[in-house]
Amino acid sequence: MSLNRIARRATAAVAASAAFALALSGCTTTAGAAGSSSEPLQKEDLVIVASVINTLNPYFQGNITGAEALGEELGIPVEIVDANGDPGTQISKIQGVIAKGKKVVLFVNTVDNSVVRPIVDSVKQAGGFVTIWWNKPDDYEPWDAGDNFVAFQKHSGVDSGRCNAKALGDALGGEGNVIMLPGVQDSTTSQTRVAGFRAEMEENYPGITILEERPSNWDPQLAFDNSKQLITKYGDDIDGVWSADDGMQIGSMKAFKDAGLIDEVQFASDGLYPETIAAMEAGEPIVGETFHRGYMASAVGLYTAYLAATGEIVPSELPEEKRNSLFELSCVTPDTLPDYLQYDEPDAPAKFIDELIENGPWDAEPMPLVSGGPEVLP
Amino acid sequence: MVNATMQTENVDTTAIRQHELQTVRRSFIRGIAEPLGLIAALVALIIVFSLLNPRFATLENLRNVLDQASVPLIVGVGATLVILLGSIDLSVEGVMGASGMAWILMSANSRGGADLGVWAWIGAIAIGMALGFASGALFTRLKVPSFIVTLGMWYVGLGIATVMYGSGIVPMLTDEAVGGWASSATLGLPNSFWLAAVVVVLGVLTLRYTRLGRVTYAIGDNETIAKGNGVPVARVKTVVFVIAASLSGLAGIIATMKLGAGSATVGSGVLFVVIPAVVIGGTSLGGGKGGVLRTVLGVLLLTVLTNGLILAGVSPSWQSGVSGAILVAAIIVAAWSQRDRLRVAK
Amino acid sequence: MNTTTPPVLKLEGIRISFGPIAAVKGVSLQIERGEIVGLIGENGAGKSTLLKILTGIYQPDSGTIEVNGTPVRLRGPRDAIAAGVGVVHQEQSLFSNLSVAENIEMNTPPGAGGVSRLGLYRWRRLNRDAAATLEKIGSKLDPRTRVGDLSFVDRQMVEIARAIHMDPSRNTTPLVILDEPTSLLERKETAILEREMRKLRDVGAVIFVSHRLDEVLRVCDRVVVMRHGELIADRRTEEVTEDDLFHLMVGREMHSPDRRHRPIAADSRPAVEVSGLTRKGKFRDVSFAVHPGRCTVIVGTSGSGREALSRALFGAETFDSGSLTFGGRPAAGWTIAKATNAGVGYVPAERKVEGMVGGLPAAQNLTLTHPGPAAAGPVILPAKRDQVARTWFDALDVRPNDISLELERFSGGNQQKVVLAKWLNSPDLRVLVLDHPLRGLDPGAAETVNEQIRRARDEGTAVVLLADTLEEALEMGDEVVVMRDGVVTGHFDVATDDPSTLDLLERML
Repeated sequence: MSLNRIARRATAAVAASAAFALALSGCTTTAGAAGSSSEPLQKEDLVIVASVINTLNPYFQGNITGAEALGEELGIPVEIVDANGDPGTQISKIQGVIAKGKKVVLFVNTVDNSVVRPIVDSVKQAGGFVTIWWNKPDDYEPWDAGDNFVAFQKHSGVDSGRCNAKALGDALGGEGNVIMLPGVQDSTTSQTRVAGFRAEMEENYPGITILEERPSNWDPQLAFDNSKQLITKYGDDIDGVWSADDGMQIGSMKAFKDAGLIDEVQFASDGLYPETIAAMEAGEPIVGETFHRGYMASAVGLYTAYLAATGEIVPSELPEEKRNSLFELSCVTPDTLPDYLQYDEPDAPAKFIDELIENGPWDAEPMPLVSGGPEVLP
Repeated sequence: MVNATMQTENVDTTAIRQHELQTVRRSFIRGIAEPLGLIAALVALIIVFSLLNPRFATLENLRNVLDQASVPLIVGVGATLVILLGSIDLSVEGVMGASGMAWILMSANSRGGADLGVWAWIGAIAIGMALGFASGALFTRLKVPSFIVTLGMWYVGLGIATVMYGSGIVPMLTDEAVGGWASSATLGLPNSFWLAAVVVVLGVLTLRYTRLGRVTYAIGDNETIAKGNGVPVARVKTVVFVIAASLSGLAGIIATMKLGAGSATVGSGVLFVVIPAVVIGGTSLGGGKGGVLRTVLGVLLLTVLTNGLILAGVSPSWQSGVSGAILVAAIIVAAWSQRDRLRVAK
Repeated sequence: MNTTTPPVLKLEGIRISFGPIAAVKGVSLQIERGEIVGLIGENGAGKSTLLKILTGIYQPDSGTIEVNGTPVRLRGPRDAIAAGVGVVHQEQSLFSNLSVAENIEMNTPPGAGGVSRLGLYRWRRLNRDAAATLEKIGSKLDPRTRVGDLSFVDRQMVEIARAIHMDPSRNTTPLVILDEPTSLLERKETAILEREMRKLRDVGAVIFVSHRLDEVLRVCDRVVVMRHGELIADRRTEEVTEDDLFHLMVGREMHSPDRRHRPIAADSRPAVEVSGLTRKGKFRDVSFAVHPGRCTVIVGTSGSGREALSRALFGAETFDSGSLTFGGRPAAGWTIAKATNAGVGYVPAERKVEGMVGGLPAAQNLTLTHPGPAAAGPVILPAKRDQVARTWFDALDVRPNDISLELERFSGGNQQKVVLAKWLNSPDLRVLVLDHPLRGLDPGAAETVNEQIRRARDEGTAVVLLADTLEEALEMGDEVVVMRDGVVTGHFDVATDDPSTLDLLERML
């Protein structure tokens, strides 16, 4: 670690604790002198809050399940905030929950970058703790905001893309034509997955041609429509389809089924939704998936924030990789699929929480910390 | 003054007769000329896209375009009726979500449950009707603008879909025959299109040959006068909203069937195809002017545009911009005959 | 009258109040079959209220209504239609997007006339029935024509046909109420209408509401006069003169026409000069000039092109060739904005559509174009504005005298006063173009408006007027330009040529 960096962090830490002390003295009557470390909060004063983009896909449902399982284990009430896909709604609903008075232990699956600063500011003012997942502005780091912004966490999108590319490239024997269905074009998650997929193909599968990239906005219906157009355009030249998530893959596979081409194409995507597992078990041509679960993400995020709230960790004393973190993502092929079925058993969330509490948020299997962010595009 | 009276008592009426004949002829010509611009724009697009990619002008792509046009066409018939009243129905996507979700959960799907067959259709469309009735009743009884009521109903529909979806797995159609019905072809064209065509024909006949349809035009032209003529305005409006929402429900079923999976947002994006299509077709947002066949032209124009741009290989980053520019150009061509100095556009 | 047939309409002690104001104070009236009864009165005399009671829009506080000998309660327009009371409104109430036949049949309850069965239209039957009804009033309009494509007088025919069209199975005598049907018509068209009205005698009975006293005297058998909510006179038409009626209505003498015509000063330059002006399909090679302080009236039937011409003067329509000069300066690329800046004012015929912003208070309408002292640069000064508006309200006797009331809530005559004042408020109004400024105005309001037009003219404004009647043209104009089919067919100096209405008419037709 360079000298410069240490100095910067020290300044940030001092500033952050000063701001925190200020916030505390404004809100509580018990806090006497403002110390350099934060006053631990009691469990009775806490509420676990998980905010999701919407409640309409299995991943976001998983976020909710994870929060509820953790709340049950820790004996802390849980509130869910549904953003209805809208940044403004996400901010205002979270502010509403904060205003109820209890200190929040907050997990936010962000609608987009723009919500991060206002949410962190509100949490900081009220003396709560927040972990942000998936999106944040590049120039805004947790240590810039202080201890209340405990961590930013995500899975590597580049790894996800590379994972899928490998599986698809191998399944096609290194030869063939592929179409790509990214998510919303300007989403970081989609961009990193696309970059990983393209890089892997370029570096290791020169025989594979990428015919076209058609953003489908995470929308199964649009992925269905776009696939139909691409089928018309390229006909049976298409050998492989990559989608940035399983929802779009469902739409795309239906289009190829309708066209009678399903047996001539291989699919790869991200998320390993239960529907995808069912399809793979039924022998449909899905050759590569990446495994991660919504309940794990929210549980890890919330537990990190909880540790900060109870004083068991002091964020400013953590290494950077534990505050801007990339977590493990597993590549799944039809052969390794059976290993992952255990994580969808009804008791899986509870089991994962036991693992989490035993080993801490950075060493819980199957998603230990891999490295620090930010993610570097190839 | 006396002179004037005497003179006019003996006015020759042949001039008047001629004038009458002229007006009939004039309105006939205008009735043809107005959609001509739109047809010209559509033909021009088809020619350009065919030149850019020979695969555009194939039977396969025709099927593809018609299959894609089916959902907006079905919704568009209802939207045309509502807009002819001078109202608007924004609830389309919510109703589609609710009906689509209800239908798949009542049909054979991966979550299990009973397969109710045709009753699934009836049940799902009934949900649409109920939402439409709620919109119509709130709109006419409480005199809340339709814009607001149906915006609310959009979210009510989405809410119903979300509750039905719950937290289980995505319901997938398990009966391949049902899942493939919409996109498979009869007489060379997709079934979804035939269904849309039936709806369009019924829409045209309703507007032309039923009292409901004619009174819809009357209300759109001038509601006050309609009331003064003893037209049951509130009842007609409610019925039109029920019809529109039923069609949205039907469209929700078709969209869900095509996707093969239940999704509360199965209708996403449809509203912003349908409303512009109705308006591009020449149905006035103020009500009273327009018709279903014009909406068909509007829907085809928009569908061909999306399809053609992808086939032509326009980069996704450019597609929105290019399609917007072409659309504006097409509308200018189509509306050229109607411009007038004091005509107010809002 | 035959005593065995009951009267078509019998009103007994009809009374209605709105809050503390009694609008109709005990009106009794009887109308027999075959009678045309004129109903006259100033704006606000209670005519409209009485009509609204007859059409079921208002329910009277007390009194009885009998139609064809049966007592009825009219709870809404449908009841009135069912009882056989049809109205031809002052503001036309047709659906311009529907066909003639549909408009005529719109009143008939579904099923009863047999035009729709099981909710389905039988177009042939519909068109045949409508044609039969049109035939009764002597019109040969094609029932399939879209009403929006018809001329004004044809639309009036459709309105009348609708008013008498009723379920043939019911054996009732229709009562047709014509609410100022002629106020918007040209002289020639009026004559046709009058002829058709007389034919209605054979079908039923007519109540004819009009501000044109000459017409009332020509067409009606009997005239009833309302003032302050009461029926103050009921006369046979042969017993009264126009002056008698005017006196009964307003209680003051009619203004004598201003016949002083001033010659043009030798050094005067025309305020507006039109030369060879042509717009394809509308008017062709029109030339005339108007000097400051003079009034030129343009007459012609509808289709003569004079409306388009007047709009071209104001920049509301373009022209293809020829020239237009204002105060010696050519009007190139003429637009409404430029015209307004150059001191041109325009009172349109379609007041409600083009002349006013109905939802805004009168004071704001009045100061919309030329705020005068009501604005300092871009900033509106509300106190000054209200002061300006109040001055005009007093000068023009606008009623009700409330400048903050939305303009659409005033009666037609009072609206027109405000629209006119909007232009008069300009400190230098050079040219005033008026398209049928007296349309739908009662004689009192019409007199006020004419007075203001004359005053503007006397103060040096050049006036271009499209008059309702030839009498009005000769009364107001220093010069009269006659147009037919877009071409000028006559040009008279009223003082020197002294043209008669017949002279004008000859060149119009």
